[in-house]
Amino acid sequence: MNIFSALETVIERPETLAAEAGPEGLGRTGMLGYFAGTLGFFAFLRMFSAVPPGIMSFSVVFILLLAANFFFASSIHLFMDLTGAKGRASRLFLAFGCSDFLLALLVPLAFFAKLQVLNGFLWFCLCLLAVVYARVRLVRRLYPVSANKALLSICLPYAGLGAVFFAVSVYAVAWLVWLVV
Amino acid sequence: MEEQNNSGAVNPEEQPKPAPRPAPARPGTALWLKIIAGLYALSLIAAFSVINRADAARKTKPKDLDLSKLTGLAKSKKDAVAVIPLYGAISQGSSSRSWDRGSQQIAKRISTMAARKEIKAIVLDINSPGGTVGSVQEIYSAIMKAKAETKKPFIARFGEVSASGGYYVAAACDKIVAQPGTITGSIGVIFSVSNFEGLMKKVGYRSEVIKSGKFKDIGSAMREMTPEEHKLLQGMIDDSYDQFVTAVSQGRKMPVEKVKLLADGRIFTGRQGKDVGLVDSLGDLQDAIDQAGEMGGLGKNPRVVSDTDPFENLMSLVDSKLSLLGTKSVTETFDIAPSLEYRWTGK
Repeated sequence: MNIFSALETVIERPETLAAEAGPEGLGRTGMLGYFAGTLGFFAFLRMFSAVPPGIMSFSVVFILLLAANFFFASSIHLFMDLTGAKGRASRLFLAFGCSDFLLALLVPLAFFAKLQVLNGFLWFCLCLLAVVYARVRLVRRLYPVSANKALLSICLPYAGLGAVFFAVSVYAVAWLVWLVV
Repeated sequence: MEEQNNSGAVNPEEQPKPAPRPAPARPGTALWLKIIAGLYALSLIAAFSVINRADAARKTKPKDLDLSKLTGLAKSKKDAVAVIPLYGAISQGSSSRSWDRGSQQIAKRISTMAARKEIKAIVLDINSPGGTVGSVQEIYSAIMKAKAETKKPFIARFGEVSASGGYYVAAACDKIVAQPGTITGSIGVIFSVSNFEGLMKKVGYRSEVIKSGKFKDIGSAMREMTPEEHKLLQGMIDDSYDQFVTAVSQGRKMPVEKVKLLADGRIFTGRQGKDVGLVDSLGDLQDAIDQAGEMGGLGKNPRVVSDTDPFENLMSLVDSKLSLLGTKSVTETFDIAPSLEYRWTGK
């Protein structure tokens, strides 16, 4: 089964993600999704000279995205497992890879941003929203749970990271004030 | 076994029906996916060709044919002027920690900066009323050694106050730039001893001293100073004063007699200092940096390397907070041990 067929299955019949066998070729498709998504994201960043050029630079972005998605998939799986929903973490990780195909949209959107049609950051946020939406759809099929719970599980890692960042920032400011005053 | 028996007895009509096969994918989806993949490939090619063109344009940007830039081609882009701050009273410092601001750390910074190849000139940003004789001379000596070894120009810049020991250090520099209202001068030595004898008698405190020689407790705050001690200390003061005058005379290339006329401890404004030859020019820090750049062959407005290390600044801040929760500064304030100082106490 080629990658297009696997992607077609994920789009048309996402319920097969929860099946025993799972969609054929999901592994390859998921990893290619990460690659294509990273390439799109990297091209977007390069268009705004936000990252240095070269293979090494791309590799760093790729590894960072893989690591972040690995963290998100594992924490979402943990949440699902704790709340009684059954599914597979590895399949969730690969399904997220399929959703990352949407990041390829960033390439044409970068041209729009360069043409002053909306801000580049705004396009990025819109694209991220699309990815989150696709992930919610995939998660609710994979475990299976309600759309609200899927949305909650997707947002939890972001919220957790945000809370940690906020707490560290507040403490850092308090520490600096203590140092200076 | 029972299960097998039961299963054998099940009515064929009651057997569970096989799960319905999933609906086949719409044929159009695959086609759309292929079209999107093609468009993605095209947009990627377009994006990377644009990025490459932009990078190439950035690389082949025509250089400004300014003559000053052509003459600067031989120089490294990193060439710079170093600015070393010298703020507050100068003392030996209470530790050898790199973030401490004692005279030994400042002397080390001066020699380190002077040894760096890209540093072509050094500006000492002085805002100090002076300090103990030994620590002032340590910095003076570091400047003289760095000048002799590297032949790099040193420029002293005076801020609010640069008197006594602050001026001693500046005398080692090739040029002195001061603000018109800077307080400078105060060339001289001071040794002050407090006398708590009367107070101690009042509170009933008595100090017993057992000493190996009659001068061993010279400068004691517990008794009156003897004429012999006074004479001895005056000799020390005179010798230190002579060292100060000699340093100024050599540094400023002025006759000793002329220096002595100015060296009765009087203070000058920056403008008065310029009139009597203690200061070379009036200006601010940027003027001093410009002069350093010109003397170092970098021209006006050179790249500036600051001596301050963010890590050391942070450690200094943390250290000052953690050292006895701030009581260290209080104990230092009440440290009344007499010392020989090139210091202006008027501030």
